[in-house]
Amino acid sequence: MTDIIWGTVTKIITTNSFEMNVSHQKDTNNDSYQDVEQIHFTEIDIPSIPVDESSRDILQIEQNLKDKFVKCEISGRNSENRLVCSVSHSGAGGY
Amino acid sequence: MWTPQILDKRSSYDDLIAGKIPALIIPKVLSKFDCTSISSKILNMSKINGASTKFGTTLSSHIYEKSKYFSNAQESNKILKNLFFEHISPLILMRQKISELLKKKIYTATENNMFYSDAIIRIHGNGDSVHLHRDNSNFEMSEYNVSRIENQLSAILYLQSPDVGGELTIFHKIWNKKDEMMREPEFGYSADLIKGVYRTKVTPVAGNMAILNPKFYHQIESISGLKSRITLGFFFGESSKDCLYSWT
Repeated sequence: MTDIIWGTVTKIITTNSFEMNVSHQKDTNNDSYQDVEQIHFTEIDIPSIPVDESSRDILQIEQNLKDKFVKCEISGRNSENRLVCSVSHSGAGGY
Repeated sequence: MWTPQILDKRSSYDDLIAGKIPALIIPKVLSKFDCTSISSKILNMSKINGASTKFGTTLSSHIYEKSKYFSNAQESNKILKNLFFEHISPLILMRQKISELLKKKIYTATENNMFYSDAIIRIHGNGDSVHLHRDNSNFEMSEYNVSRIENQLSAILYLQSPDVGGELTIFHKIWNKKDEMMREPEFGYSADLIKGVYRTKVTPVAGNMAILNPKFYHQIESISGLKSRITLGFFFGESSKDCLYSWT
């Protein structure tokens, strides 16, 4: 089973990576994760963020991700110690 | 005292927007007879639809699925029209009251010539409650034009009161972007956010309409008994000086 963490995006690092405060971890995760993790995202479900990385810019990523609560499905860690994840929005703050 | 007000003048609306009061109660928008009749029809429709607990769609169910939202909205708007066909439409009455109060016309919001969802009916039964949350599309619904509408408010008409419980508790704490760190994965926020915060309650009296500033944290208390809590609701806000637009 894939490990999953949730939290808020605090800083955009590049057009495919950000830093997040981890607030929730799935009970059945195989590993445990730090309170702050850097994420390299390979997929994202936010339509305003282009799939093609060369069409993205930092401002655009900031507008769509900064301070947002996201779910990260983890597939591993890369050489920069960033978690490689598929990222999606998670639930809603209200109706 | 930060408490719901039963008033029908423009100044109370300004107080609501400014957060000086938590809610406005407009009594007897719909008669007890019409509430009973419409609730009975809703409950029958619910049985036919496999005990469905909502009729209508919401942005929060389709944050990043815009085309699906609009397709569902057209469908649910038809369902609501059919449901209210033989009755005085509670939706029209709610809009009339809001329009009278604010001296502005109110329309269902549109985007690319498609209507947003007019309203949503929710049925909460025995044991149900709704966890701490805030409703405001400015932050997380940025894909939709209504996210840019200012002074968003929520209107709820109580169609059926439950036997016990179902009060709307409003906390004197307004949502802040930093609170996203206290989100729960599925819905709403951690109860730690409102520890020690002053709270007030709105009793779900059938026929009454409550208008609240949904940026204030709120929750629905647990319901018990055979009678469900049935509501009709929508959000609305100001897009121009003369008009209000609504959606769910």
